[in-house]
Amino acid sequence: MLASQAAVRGLQRSLWRALSTARCVQAAHGKDVSADVLDCSQPQYCNRPDTPLPDIPFVRNLTADQMKLKEKEKGPWTKLTMEEKLALYRLSHELTYAEMRKGTNEWKTVVGVILYFMGFTGLVVWWQRVYVYGDVPQTFSEDWVEKQTKRMLDMRTNPIQGISTHWDYDKKQWK
Amino acid sequence: MATPLQLGFQDAASPGMEELVHFHDHALMVVYLISSFVLYIIVTLVMTKLTNKHAHDSQEIEIIWTILPAIILIVVALPSLRILYLMDEINNPHLTVKAFGHQWYWSYEYTDYDDLAFDSYMTPTQDLIPGQFRLLEVDHRMVIPTESPIRVLITAEDVLHSWAVPALGIKMDAVPGRLNQTTFMTSRPGIYYGQCSEICGANHSFMPIAVEAVPLTHFEDWSTSMQQTV
Repeated sequence: MLASQAAVRGLQRSLWRALSTARCVQAAHGKDVSADVLDCSQPQYCNRPDTPLPDIPFVRNLTADQMKLKEKEKGPWTKLTMEEKLALYRLSHELTYAEMRKGTNEWKTVVGVILYFMGFTGLVVWWQRVYVYGDVPQTFSEDWVEKQTKRMLDMRTNPIQGISTHWDYDKKQWK
Repeated sequence: MATPLQLGFQDAASPGMEELVHFHDHALMVVYLISSFVLYIIVTLVMTKLTNKHAHDSQEIEIIWTILPAIILIVVALPSLRILYLMDEINNPHLTVKAFGHQWYWSYEYTDYDDLAFDSYMTPTQDLIPGQFRLLEVDHRMVIPTESPIRVLITAEDVLHSWAVPALGIKMDAVPGRLNQTTFMTSRPGIYYGQCSEICGANHSFMPIAVEAVPLTHFEDWSTSMQQTV
């Protein structure tokens, strides 16, 4: 029983590891999975909030239209239309700050899986309580606990800040 | 004795334990201050939008976070050392009791005036009278007079044990071939329970200690009657 439980758990774990690192799952959560081989001896482009101006622009190889736009950029910027300004931004940067800070939905999957395993643990605990554990000792019965508490109060246990300070000895009731 | 779900110490029944409780309050407050400060720093560090990629060193903060911890340590160490030396003061005990640890019971000897020696076994759960405390009650308690300094000499007859009574602030290892001494004084009458505090075999959890502090006349009556029965 325990061996098959362990086998199931092992399968779930390896399944999760295979899933969470799978490109399709990462892409579904919005992670950028286009990272191919990087040559780190060359200047890199990066999307980082603390680096407003990366080492190189995002688009290196400009088309003819884009080169014309770059020429227009050398003139006064007041003559650029909004679309042209946005196009120039997208030439030098891949993502806007808003897009960089957006975040993914991965946390929902993580929380869901955590809750699932907590539920499974609860199931195991309940099963143990019902099918494995025996009875608690007789000292846990209500009658015994009552007599025990009375004895503790009679003995004045913890009379400074503990249980005996919560009992009114004159009125014979809890304060 | 402890009550269910209790987290803190039992109320002190000896002046030594009172000192320990107050010191613990003091040290815990220092710990809370440091922990909450560190937690605050960590949270602000994680949540801030500010970035600085060029922080190298700072002499001022290095000085502060060297001197301040040293001061905090002194503030904690001085009361601690005070209690340490207090515990070792000469106090001329009125009575000496010898406690022997066996597997798995304690035995006590009162040999100052007469020969009184008896064993103290745990009362098994099925033999308890309703209202008694499971795993704490013993057949013969160690009875001592209140408000008198008592010396306890602790040793073991076989393996390591440890004689501990939390309400009195005492824990002393029972080492075979060695006599360990501790002294205490109970401020108020009552029964104070403890449990063996050094792993000693199968029934390590089932050899409790029960110290009963009674007024002197009652102690003398007990001593007389015990000698006649044992």
